[in-house]
Amino acid sequence: MIEVTQLGKTYPGGVEAVKGVDFEVRAGEVFGLLGPNGAGKSTTIGMLTTTIEPTSGNARLAGFDVAKQPREARRVSSVVFQEPVVDRALTGRRNLILHARLWSVDPGAAARRIQNIVEVFGIGDVIDRPVASFSGGQVRRLEIARALISQPSVLFLDEPTVGLDTRIRYELLDLIDDLRDENDMTTLLTTHYLDEAERLCDRVAIISAGRIVALDSPRALLAGLGREVIELRVQHDPQQVLGLLRSHRIAGDDTFAVGSTLTIPLRNGTAGEAMAQISELNVATTAISTRPPTLDDVYLRLTGDRLAA
Amino acid sequence: MTTITATDRMPVRTRRRPGAGQDNLSALLTLARRRLALSASNPREIFVPLLTPLLFALVIAPALATLVRSAPGLDYRTYLAIGTAGLLVPLACMFAGLGVVVDRQSGARPELLTAPIPRGLIVFGNLLVAVLVSGLQLGALLLATYLRGAHFNATATGIGWFVAAAGCFAVAMYSIAEIMANRIPSQEEYVGAVPAVAIVPWFIAGSLFPISALPAGLTAIAKALPLTHVLALMRYGLLDRHGAGLRDIWGMTNTTVMAALSTAVVVAYAILFLVLALRVFRRTAVR
Repeated sequence: MIEVTQLGKTYPGGVEAVKGVDFEVRAGEVFGLLGPNGAGKSTTIGMLTTTIEPTSGNARLAGFDVAKQPREARRVSSVVFQEPVVDRALTGRRNLILHARLWSVDPGAAARRIQNIVEVFGIGDVIDRPVASFSGGQVRRLEIARALISQPSVLFLDEPTVGLDTRIRYELLDLIDDLRDENDMTTLLTTHYLDEAERLCDRVAIISAGRIVALDSPRALLAGLGREVIELRVQHDPQQVLGLLRSHRIAGDDTFAVGSTLTIPLRNGTAGEAMAQISELNVATTAISTRPPTLDDVYLRLTGDRLAA
Repeated sequence: MTTITATDRMPVRTRRRPGAGQDNLSALLTLARRRLALSASNPREIFVPLLTPLLFALVIAPALATLVRSAPGLDYRTYLAIGTAGLLVPLACMFAGLGVVVDRQSGARPELLTAPIPRGLIVFGNLLVAVLVSGLQLGALLLATYLRGAHFNATATGIGWFVAAAGCFAVAMYSIAEIMANRIPSQEEYVGAVPAVAIVPWFIAGSLFPISALPAGLTAIAKALPLTHVLALMRYGLLDRHGAGLRDIWGMTNTTVMAALSTAVVVAYAILFLVLALRVFRRTAVR
């Protein structure tokens, strides 16, 4: 449904935001694009939604080339933007109708869909009020509802929960999760909330400095870090500590550090044995703990400070 | 668990769609309705531009008319009333442009850019409403000045010249507003630039007095301004069938030819600025 081949973007001035990425998203799949700020996620989404012109490679949505058939590509897709993108002076319903008309949805069908969707999204009570009076969560719900009015084959969710408080964020995740269960549309989600990706995505691509550095299912990516990790907060230079741990074969190449915290995937032995060995080395630590690996660990190992030689 | 049902779901790709022309017209009207609804929700956008010209036409112009002795057969009050139109249209269009800045900064422009429509329609939708609102405001201004004692000498042909000049001028001015709205980063800076574009030319374009009364250098500049041609045409259409303003520009004897030439100038400006506006819009909309 989404085919991306060697897609690249170099902005005027020479900034290479995306450096030839390849991926394919299957029909009905929820695909996550993860990466830190400036990694190239938004530029990639921009190219797929035809608001940024690729400088190399190509991409297709439902078979339509985004550069050569941009209107057709836009017709089969909808976007929920990172920032609120609504006409705040208009009512919620008017915003939905506007989308329906621009996407050539039959007015009768649009009215039925709006009626249905606003109830499901819990904005039925406010839909005839100006959006300026909506809460942040209601605006987000409205935007997702709007994107669905045209029944897109491809839905882009660009950091859909950013800036929302925790409760609303979890409510929205439920909603998106339900969409995933109830619809056969293809969804491309960008986020830097790893729990979102873990929960919603069938597969994720981790993008760093304009390149995809990992692409697999969350489960497979987690498996790459073993069954358990030790998290070690050290008082001194983490590189020195890492060298020491490596020389004693406690840490492997996949150990990584962010700030003063070392994360050590366990390959052999138990956590207890490893912690005892660390204790014997008299490393000055402020905290030490063990836990199962998370997608955060995968993400940080691939995009954060890497101490592995 | 909530259930998202799609009672009338059908594949988007196979949906029967009307022809492209009908599709585009429908999209244009949708965009224009949106802009109209946004403008109507903000009365300031409609009434503020009208306020100053109205005040000028109803209060200052009659007061000036009592002091200034008009040329034979020319009513200065009416002369100024039409001159005020040259202030109203730029102000109305500039305020319409403010809506574009809002759209760009915090409105629904990104959504519109991902709609399956030719993107130029976004500009045309806004333009349509700006021209419509300018026309309504112009009508209100002329009605108010008429009730206040202005004497128009209108014929069907004269109204035709007036409408053509006003319409093309509104297109040119809105296109300038669109260019500014896409190029100027903030609302504050945009508002700061409005007087230079909307008000300064008004003083030298023959709105208060004939351009022949200007110093020679300024007269040459005035002749190059679209507003000078617009005011000359408006007066030719509604007040002065001898076309004194047109003669000041062209120095010819055939008023119809001069009117046609001035109309051509205004049309050329309208096309030039509209093309530039579309170009600037595309460049800023798609990176």
